Amino acid sequence: MFELTLQAVYSGLLAGGWYAMVALGLALVFGTMRIINLAHGELVLLAAYVAFEMERSFGLNPIAAIPVALVVVGLTALLVYFLIGRIRHDRELNSLILTFGIAIVLTNVILMTWSADIRSTSVGWFMDGAVIADTLFSMNSEVLFFGAGVALVGGTYWWLNHTWHGRALRAVSSNRNAAMLMGVNPARVEAMSFVVSAVLATVSGVALYTASVVFPALGHGLTIKAFVITVLAGLGSVPGVLLGAVILGVGETMTATFAKPSLQELTGMVIFLLILFLRPSGLFGRKVVGK
Amino acid sequence: MLALDDVSMNFGGVAALRNVTFAMDEGETLGLIGPNGAGKTTLFNVISGVLTPSAGRLEFAGKPLGKAANWRRARQGIGRTFQIPQPMHELTVRENLMVAQRFGAGRTDGRRIDEILDLLDLTAKQHIDAAHGLALTEQKALEVGKALAVEPRLLMLDEVLGGLETATKRAFGQTLQRVRERYGLTMIVIEHDIETIKTLCPRVVVLNFGELIADGTPDEVFNDARVIRSYTGDSAA
Amino acid sequence: MTMMRSGLLLGFLAVAYLGVPLLFGGMDYVMSLVIAALTIAGIAVAWALLGNLGGLVSFGHAAFFGVGAYVSALLVMDNGWPVLPAMLAGGLGAAIASVATMPALRLRGPYFALAILAYAHIFKILAVEFSSITGGAGGLLSIPGFPTVFGLDLASKTGAYVLILTIVLAWMAVYHAIRRSTWGLALRAMHDSELATRVVGVPSTHLKAVMLVVSAFMTGVVGAFNAHQISFLDPEYAFSGTWTVLPIAAAIFGGYRTVWGPLMGALVVYLLDQLVFKEIMPSGHQLVFGVLLGAMILLSPQGLMPLLARLGVARPRRETAPQAAAPHATEDGNARA
Repeated sequence: MFELTLQAVYSGLLAGGWYAMVALGLALVFGTMRIINLAHGELVLLAAYVAFEMERSFGLNPIAAIPVALVVVGLTALLVYFLIGRIRHDRELNSLILTFGIAIVLTNVILMTWSADIRSTSVGWFMDGAVIADTLFSMNSEVLFFGAGVALVGGTYWWLNHTWHGRALRAVSSNRNAAMLMGVNPARVEAMSFVVSAVLATVSGVALYTASVVFPALGHGLTIKAFVITVLAGLGSVPGVLLGAVILGVGETMTATFAKPSLQELTGMVIFLLILFLRPSGLFGRKVVGK
Repeated sequence: MLALDDVSMNFGGVAALRNVTFAMDEGETLGLIGPNGAGKTTLFNVISGVLTPSAGRLEFAGKPLGKAANWRRARQGIGRTFQIPQPMHELTVRENLMVAQRFGAGRTDGRRIDEILDLLDLTAKQHIDAAHGLALTEQKALEVGKALAVEPRLLMLDEVLGGLETATKRAFGQTLQRVRERYGLTMIVIEHDIETIKTLCPRVVVLNFGELIADGTPDEVFNDARVIRSYTGDSAA
Repeated sequence: MTMMRSGLLLGFLAVAYLGVPLLFGGMDYVMSLVIAALTIAGIAVAWALLGNLGGLVSFGHAAFFGVGAYVSALLVMDNGWPVLPAMLAGGLGAAIASVATMPALRLRGPYFALAILAYAHIFKILAVEFSSITGGAGGLLSIPGFPTVFGLDLASKTGAYVLILTIVLAWMAVYHAIRRSTWGLALRAMHDSELATRVVGVPSTHLKAVMLVVSAFMTGVVGAFNAHQISFLDPEYAFSGTWTVLPIAAAIFGGYRTVWGPLMGALVVYLLDQLVFKEIMPSGHQLVFGVLLGAMILLSPQGLMPLLARLGVARPRRETAPQAAAPHATEDGNARA
């Protein structure tokens, strides 16, 4: 029993590091633009498929495919940013429908380009077991990308707090008008948040491809999970995102271990609704209720 | 009719109202004056339920208001205007009144709406988009009209004469008097113009930095030393 | 104007109730397509009502669709209810389910949209897990079909067509009636001036809640119709995202602020998809919906009609036209006595 719990916590923790990468990208854009990019999960998935294509066509190791994926995902993200900028009225709600539409387009482009087949890497090392302390089991890729996730999230946190670009981004997030008065150009900051979001999406997409299987319909669920974590964290809190991601990851593995694997997906939803109703400001952030 | 007991309102560390206590009888018209930032509009917000006071009790028509939501207070008979007119968007002038009547007074009575439009000189404008097609005077009149359509027992006017030219102001002041007589209203009027206050209000209450510093007839109040000091002499002269 | 409109309406009803069955009644494939398009239209009207009057974008109408379908099917199969009352009960079930989503009304737009999505996921998983009642992932087979009413066999293609057409038109009538009422006025005003409406006594959150319940009820009945029409149900199908995506695309395309928009949008979008795009690209043809949604939001968020108007194809007809130029040139039921 104890070992089962320990293993569940360990697996959940590893998943959490990865979730944090996915969620932080969504949260950054949400912070600067007050827009939920419903196509974020598809951007992650797109990176995974680029890695797959590089491996299939050129025999490239998925890790080496990251630069290519970054270009593809980055350009797509900027296109999304450009289209959102074209919305004239009621940006908050119309952007939801727009990015929802973009998500559908991306899903189907992926479907048409790479078919509905389930894909995974053929590089065996990623799937090999990495046993820690004789008892805790995981795959190499999980450990690798947990580390990468924590490093990237930590790096982003540092960037937000210690560089001018990062500070500008935080300024726009917390008070757009004040930031403009201080001479920050919000349009540039918004574009920047999309680029950083694309970097995070790219790495997490490649991680997804090496640690698991991918198929076209996956993106939707990723967006929802990222959003759940964002809500859990509260607006504008990077440590909150990390902790929220770990809570979700551990919650899922515990559910799968002690209840039923089929109920795993329910965990996030239930956490999401509980937080919305009991503590709408999230665990660490500002209020989201009312006007 | 209306009683405030020790009402305070804090925003963060700033006290917008401090221990305000006063009561009004049915049919009274009360002038509410004070320098900018004295807490007059905050007081309206507290009475109409837009804000929940940090401390103190409010009683209306013999019953405590408690935490009743703003829409419920409108139905209990508290009508108010906003200093910056807030027409209901996407609706015509008449539709604004219809919604206020249906929800605030709980009934549909086209004749009363006609009457309000007529009293406020809005009949010709009744089918115009309220948010975009009105001049300032008309916007102010619509503010009063919406509050009247609720069929209030207490009407609170927040600078409805502010920003108007002298002649318009006088005419509109007379309109307000007609409105009061027609509907037998209890009124609280926030107004900067001393002449208007003197003609409309037999009783005046003065707020300064959220504190009630005077309460009496216009003559008493405008000769009160604290009031004069609070205005630094300029308008009470 | 009014004469012309009632004439148009009568003409439309004649074509819809007599013309279509006479022309296509024998062609099962065409009738199936039209029935499916109308099913989408039914949800689209419900979605538009919530979006336009409640100011709420929902990404989870599949939740109400699925609940309505399951409630109705189970009442008929397990409790021997007649089909038509069971369908209404299905709507009621969806309405009750929507009450569970109400705490989300306190939340701002995006949160509500996604909270409803979360509910759709939860309902789907619950339908799989409560397999003793719902048949689990295997689903329900041979759900009883429609009865014969007034000599019309509703189980036939033509009968089912008449039934769903009537449901959709009824929902449009409800949408129209609410929109025109003082309630509708208050709901429209709430969107941009919530405080101003509240201080005149409008309980805005309550009104939104009622719109949510009405919208859920409508969607539930349509879900029930669909279950009895195709006589099969499983969680994956009943709560499928399709029941969300297609109606949104239809309502946005046709114009969700109008009563006819969702219906027209559903017919155009669904039939184009099935007859054209599905042929051109057998996999991934849903791409078109995505493009459509994006294009409409960017080019004409009000729907197709204003877009056509701007391109000069049709004449503009504004809802609340500022009539400053000609204040008396208005036809108004409340004109002075």
